[in-house]
Amino acid sequence: MSLFLANSSDPVSHIVDKPIAGLKFGDINIMLSMVTVIGTALVLVLLLMRAASGSKTGPASMGNRRYLPSSSFSGIIEVMVVYLRDEMLIPVMGARLTARYLSYLLSLFFFILLLNIVGLIPFVDVHYAVYQVTGAPFAGVTESNTAALFGGAATASISVTGALAMISFLVVQVQGFRELGIGGWLEHLCGGRELVRGSIFLWLVIPIIFVVELGGIFVKPAALAIRLFANMVAGHTLLLTLLGFGAMAAKAGLGTLSVSGITLVSGIGAILITFLEVFVALLQAFIFMFLTAVFISLMAHEEHAEGHEAHDDAASGHGDSHGHHAAAAHS
Amino acid sequence: MLIASADPLAFDPFTFITTMVVFVVVFVVLGVGVWPKILKGLNERDAKILHEIESAEAAREAAMAKQKEFELKLAAALEESDRMLREARASAVRVGDELRAKNESELAERARRASDEIENARRTAVAELEAHASSLAIAIAGRILEREISPTDQKRLVEQSLASMNASRT
Repeated sequence: MSLFLANSSDPVSHIVDKPIAGLKFGDINIMLSMVTVIGTALVLVLLLMRAASGSKTGPASMGNRRYLPSSSFSGIIEVMVVYLRDEMLIPVMGARLTARYLSYLLSLFFFILLLNIVGLIPFVDVHYAVYQVTGAPFAGVTESNTAALFGGAATASISVTGALAMISFLVVQVQGFRELGIGGWLEHLCGGRELVRGSIFLWLVIPIIFVVELGGIFVKPAALAIRLFANMVAGHTLLLTLLGFGAMAAKAGLGTLSVSGITLVSGIGAILITFLEVFVALLQAFIFMFLTAVFISLMAHEEHAEGHEAHDDAASGHGDSHGHHAAAAHS
Repeated sequence: MLIASADPLAFDPFTFITTMVVFVVVFVVLGVGVWPKILKGLNERDAKILHEIESAEAAREAAMAKQKEFELKLAAALEESDRMLREARASAVRVGDELRAKNESELAERARRASDEIENARRTAVAELEAHASSLAIAIAGRILEREISPTDQKRLVEQSLASMNASRT
């Protein structure tokens, strides 16, 4: 058993979500990512409540300092909120939609961000290390379950990212019905008002557009889920592969010097990749939130008619950059 | 060794539902207890900054108006002082001219008086000298002639002397 790979014979086995050994709710296996999601949510709520209490305007006795955040953590959260709101969401969605969906989008961003960051902290490996030192029970623990109670990359589970994408899907569709109505929503699926009320020859393309748009409704949230899931799995696989080189060299029977050298080099590589993964954690949280904002804005009246370019780009999985530019141009 | 033994695409519906429920709860809690507070704090700070900027702008405009007013007053004061200075100079020149003219007239008057007095004194002195000279001439002539000269002779001699003196002067 490798300490780094926490009872897994390969990196992917380490990353995939597993049931917690001996923990069940009726017949339902309690998965590690369930606990991680719940625990991370609690931590997120506590952290953000602390930030919010530091962001409140203080009593008048503090003078002008009452308008400043009382802690640097509050200041960091405020900077992120202001940047996302003023520089990213308002240019894409407009002030009205931003005000309506800001709470949801910020919650989505910070929730995914913290899940991504928690996934970078080797809680599972720490569990196994502690168990090995203390001699804690490994009875019933196999490679298909885990002895850890918390940790792992929850966003490397398609069940977790799929759930978040499903919520985005519901929010986008509710926005569509709310803004456009049933008729407008159907017009949107048929290529927009200009096409539906245009020349009769243009109607020939409506069935094709309808199929594409109908597919796009489901492809967009699927792309959100798969993008986040794939990025997290890829990053963690790379990281764990690098970390596993030392153990693999030892198992291959190489000399101590060789094993040490390989471990050192791969460890340095893993540290560098970890820095990259911190950035990826932030980037993927942002992309998920931002594309959701783009999809919502496409369901608004003002962007509806001209929004198909960004829509198609985003739905085809190239929305990270193209969707941004198109949506920003629309706004 | 690195061949994956687990399916990373394995889907667990309970994890899916748990995540949805947890996120909705997180969204509600944050939407009620966190984002409004942070946004309210940000808005109040924005309002405060905006108010301070507007106040500073108003104060700057008021200060600029005051400065303009002071500059106008200063310019008026400078103009007034220049005018006063010019008037004072003109007045001083005028007074100087008057004093000079007065002094000159007084000096001229004094010179004229002095000249008159000198002329009078000269005339008096000349008259006295003539009288004395005539007396002295008579006395000398009497001694020479050793006799008394009568008043008629005396008068005649004086007149002759004066005539000769006048003739010699011319």
